[in-house]
Amino acid sequence: MIEVIVVVAMAVFALLAIHSRLLRNAVIYLAIFSLMAAFFFLLHAAPELAIAEAVMGSGLVTLLYLTALKRYKVFTIAVVTDFEYRIRDDLISSVQRSDAVQDIRTFLARREREAQIVFVRENRDEALRNPDYDLVLAADDASLVVYGSEDDYLVVELELMFRMRAFGSGMGVRFEWSESEVAQ
Amino acid sequence: MSKPITDESQIISVVIGFLYPFMLLLGFYVIINGHYTPGGGFQGGGILASVFIARYVVHPVEDISDTRLHAFERLFLALILVAPILLLFNGLIYRYPFLQVHYLTLMDILIGLQVGLGLAVVVDRFAFFKGVGPSWR
Repeated sequence: MIEVIVVVAMAVFALLAIHSRLLRNAVIYLAIFSLMAAFFFLLHAAPELAIAEAVMGSGLVTLLYLTALKRYKVFTIAVVTDFEYRIRDDLISSVQRSDAVQDIRTFLARREREAQIVFVRENRDEALRNPDYDLVLAADDASLVVYGSEDDYLVVELELMFRMRAFGSGMGVRFEWSESEVAQ
Repeated sequence: MSKPITDESQIISVVIGFLYPFMLLLGFYVIINGHYTPGGGFQGGGILASVFIARYVVHPVEDISDTRLHAFERLFLALILVAPILLLFNGLIYRYPFLQVHYLTLMDILIGLQVGLGLAVVVDRFAFFKGVGPSWR
């Protein structure tokens, strides 16, 4: 009887781990699945294997996954231009080398995010509606306009940093909030 | 915003800080009693390594040099090879049977420390990976 319960619970937690939308939840479901497997080994009189499964599966692997989640977070920045014609190399290099983009890069690197800058062909509103982009930069000849969602606390902190620095520097960075219609 | 939101969770850091001694105790218990209860060097080493990883999850600062950990891991690997050569292959265990338990405990401790340090080095290299460079082996 208890065997059947354990097996069914293992299947349920395996399905939950596959279908959960948040990776952190999936890691926890996988840990519970592993613990159930350890208990199953114990029921079949294999305590040595059970303790190995408990240590490896639900201890070490869970912590390793959490480490991986902590380590690698890509922050995607989409750059849109007002020009109709194609994105040229000098535009890319001027945006990449601009002070504001370097500041955003170091700001993100200090918080263990990797800034990934993509140049997209969509116009501004389409890019804002795309949930894959964390930040949208509108590049002009003179200035950069940064569009971000107010729900993202990183963007709020970034805006604060630029606002505190804006006195007298005249860098030409303007911040605007997008409507938070971005689907979660 | 009243106070800045950070990534570090207060709950996790407090709970894991409370659990450190128990994890260490369990790891050494599993290692030392490996020859007559379930467990042994590998499982106990895994528990010791998870202490190290938990430390990274709570407080990600690179203050333990991984080259030193790696050197110790190599040392224990060499000792794992040396111990049977000195104690087992020349018949010492067969001449003095009371040494058997001590030999098994010694091997469990060596294997546990080697596995724990090895897994810690793996996680350390993974967590603080900065690209292939001169320090990369």
